[in-house]
Amino acid sequence: MIHINTTLLFVLCLSFFNRAVAQKQILIEAESFIDKGGWVIDPQFVEQMGSPYLMAHGMGIPVADAVTEVKFNHRGTYHIWVRTKNWVPGDWEAPGRFKIAVNGKQLKHILGQQPGWGWEYAGTTDIKSKKVEVKLVDLTGFNGRCDAIYFSQSKQEPPAAAEQLTKWRKDKLSETTAPEKEQTYDLVITGGGLAGCAAAIAAAEQGLSVALIHDRPVLGGNASSEIRVHTLGIYGKYERILKMIDTEHYPNGSPEAKYDQEKRDRNVKSFENISLFLNWRAYDAVAKNNTIQYVDARHTASGERIRFKAPRFVDSTGDGWIGYWAGAEFSYGRESAGTYGESWEEWGELWSPEEPDDFVMGSSVLWQTEKTAEEQPFPEIPWAQEIAGDHKAIAGEWYWEFSRNDLHQIHDAEEIRDHMLRAIYGSFANAKKLKENKNHQLQWVSYLVGKRESRRLVGDHIFTFKDVSELRKFPDSVVMETRAIDVHFQRNLQDGSIPDFLSEAIFYRTEKYYIPYRSLYSKNIKNLFMAGRNFSCSHIGLGGPRVMRTTGQMGAAVGLAAAICKKYNINPREVYTHHLKEYMTLIESQQLESQP
Amino acid sequence: MITGTRLQVLAILFFTGLQFNEKPDRGPLFFTMGDEWRQAVKDIEIFAFEGVDTLVRHHVSLLSNKNGNPLLFFSDLKTPVCADGECKLANIKVYWNLLGNYVGYGIYPAYPLTKYDHDVFDGSDYARLHQLFMDNNSILKRRKISELVDRVPSKTYKQGLGKVDGMSGATKKEIKESVVDGGLYSCYTLWHIIHGEVKEKMKAYLKSIYSDSLNRYFLYSNYEDYRAYALKQLDKSAFVNHLDQIILIFRQSSPLLRTYFLKKIPEPVFQDQIVTQQIYRTFSTLDVNTKTQLIKKVGSAHPTAVEILSEHLPIMTKNQLKFYLSFLNENPRYLNPAVESNLSETGGSKKYAHAYLIRQFLKTFWQHRQR
Repeated sequence: MIHINTTLLFVLCLSFFNRAVAQKQILIEAESFIDKGGWVIDPQFVEQMGSPYLMAHGMGIPVADAVTEVKFNHRGTYHIWVRTKNWVPGDWEAPGRFKIAVNGKQLKHILGQQPGWGWEYAGTTDIKSKKVEVKLVDLTGFNGRCDAIYFSQSKQEPPAAAEQLTKWRKDKLSETTAPEKEQTYDLVITGGGLAGCAAAIAAAEQGLSVALIHDRPVLGGNASSEIRVHTLGIYGKYERILKMIDTEHYPNGSPEAKYDQEKRDRNVKSFENISLFLNWRAYDAVAKNNTIQYVDARHTASGERIRFKAPRFVDSTGDGWIGYWAGAEFSYGRESAGTYGESWEEWGELWSPEEPDDFVMGSSVLWQTEKTAEEQPFPEIPWAQEIAGDHKAIAGEWYWEFSRNDLHQIHDAEEIRDHMLRAIYGSFANAKKLKENKNHQLQWVSYLVGKRESRRLVGDHIFTFKDVSELRKFPDSVVMETRAIDVHFQRNLQDGSIPDFLSEAIFYRTEKYYIPYRSLYSKNIKNLFMAGRNFSCSHIGLGGPRVMRTTGQMGAAVGLAAAICKKYNINPREVYTHHLKEYMTLIESQQLESQP
Repeated sequence: MITGTRLQVLAILFFTGLQFNEKPDRGPLFFTMGDEWRQAVKDIEIFAFEGVDTLVRHHVSLLSNKNGNPLLFFSDLKTPVCADGECKLANIKVYWNLLGNYVGYGIYPAYPLTKYDHDVFDGSDYARLHQLFMDNNSILKRRKISELVDRVPSKTYKQGLGKVDGMSGATKKEIKESVVDGGLYSCYTLWHIIHGEVKEKMKAYLKSIYSDSLNRYFLYSNYEDYRAYALKQLDKSAFVNHLDQIILIFRQSSPLLRTYFLKKIPEPVFQDQIVTQQIYRTFSTLDVNTKTQLIKKVGSAHPTAVEILSEHLPIMTKNQLKFYLSFLNENPRYLNPAVESNLSETGGSKKYAHAYLIRQFLKTFWQHRQR
């Protein structure tokens, strides 16, 4: 069930306008534009820059205007500021330039020209009518971005500093501290990647009422048609469940991902007791006595908020946000080889360093081109050459990956995404200079960061290399895998002349290994499960199970554990300490069900 | 039971054994080190190992110079290369350095390597083979030969968007670019011998003969893998005895080794003014990751590092600049007139994309100073 439709959006917009018009200022959140034209909503970096925003992701061709209608109660002259950024500041024309048009008249100043998120002055306009049309006019097709537009009869610039801005925004939107709406479920799952989907299905099949909160319009996370990484790994005991949501497309980036997408969305939506909140992004989780009370989420377009309550929660956000907000222990970066005994002499520092550091696996942005019957122009883009150098390419793959030790995979995700966009556009521009590529054009470039590694929440067991190399079996082995540990490093660590956006994989071949249930719930937050790449593991421990059938297994295991929790009104840990036999039998029955 | 292929292998080995009993000429076709192979005058067989086909045992020698100092490992490899039941002999002379890393190979002109279609390798084929051997993480490592030859039938959708092979385009491209055209079986067999079990045996052998003099030889050599190995073995307390060489290594090495160096260098050594200056003055020539480490370590360096870094503000990434400004914010005593002047200058730059952060910092700093 999707809880927001266009009509509701419109009503929300109107109610927002009613609040705003009491003053002689109006704040418009760009993501709430009624017609977004060719602009896309980007909610990936809310925690860093404060809000979802609209982005003109046209792959070099200016996108159609985004249009909305604003109601003014006061006529007069208004100053207009736009919160935006020049995403590649430097000695060239900013790539993401755009303008604002009010009632069809473009304002004087070109926007998207100042480095760092901030307010740029767009000019003034005379408002003579109550209904005013506002348009975003893209000038380049190269990822111009607009967070918000502020009309004011005063020439006072809105605040720039993050804390002040948040408060100011709340004031302008008359937002209360807590969401007005509350909803209660048996299980609240945040993050609709493969792990979250599998958790939702497994729990729903056991009769739980489930909320699945996901910040995109489609399910699947890295496996979705928006990112297009194919699912690897084995099904373990959950073949039937995982086949509802995994992928068959090949290779990475294939347009056939859309068929997997349709299958996944259809299957998850078929469960009446899964309440699906697509385009909702969680922004807070509060714990009392180490027990999460609720998760708050906001619609990425309308700004509507809901407080989700449940006795138990699943963090399948990938970045471990629910755990982080609730105060769960977590780790980030590469542990020292001695921490868990993870050294591998053959690969030395590239595998596991003597001293810990932040050389984590990077994020990818996949892309594809197509050859057409006619010659296709591509503009000169000096702002991309600094990254691409003379590298030429007409397609990406998994090894288009970026990590750097001054960038955090969560806090700096926007810069990482933008770096990859420059690498892609620049390498393609170089390739286009070759005669053989004159008919190629960009067919698809993802604007979503496909992350491999970020926060890892700490559970009762931390899964490490030793669990694999020693083929350890556990009484609570609920996930199994045979695929090699596959840890990536940036190629420029070995050779500084190699472009910084290319990676290499180290494979440690293995027989079947197991992950215990104790790695799937938080050590210190009593009612928190985790599934997906933010499960309890070391950097090397993540290398194998990070592929998506394996993370799907984690989700399914957690969904079933939640059913046991509900049955006995217990916390996740008590499933291990008091009901393990019943839990393992329930898991085993999943496998039996999957057999013909 | 001996299969037809195995019988062929045995026959080939028997006859070629008769042909190749001459004393091997050690001249390599490709060699990535200096002239170590020329210096080698002593040759002691140290172990044997089994090849891909367990019928063949290969012998490895340790080559040493006239003083008995070890230089290289060497093996005169003769191995059958089999495809579709047909076997041919490949014979090459392989050199590994003392860490077991491949460094070169040679052939016998009378017995050139051959391809699947019986053509002999040409010059560019031999060069490509060398490049392949140089890659210790080649795609051949993680694939079975059958996976490289057979085209896996693909699962395709009824809706059909064109058939896709089971192997991704990138993988196929990687294989095609790394092996000799028509010489896949030779490439595969030889790569797995050169990078197989033999390397572990060489590493183990090195450990058995490792000494202070060998560590010194490694540390003062021109080879990064030797230097890295020596630095790993070197006790932190001994850094001070090799400072000039260690700083030279820092300047010349890969980002990976620099990272290791900066983690390992003892703080009292790092804090020495001359050492700090020698390291931080290279800032503009370093890779981005090492630059970050130097900025993050500025608090444990001699205070002169703060000023040196201020001369390089325009080449810092946004986060590097943030780290640096954050350090100054927490340690304002380091913000001397020279540092302030450099901040002002770069803060006023129209070319430096992150100059606005410096302006913000200085504005706050000056406000605090006025209070």
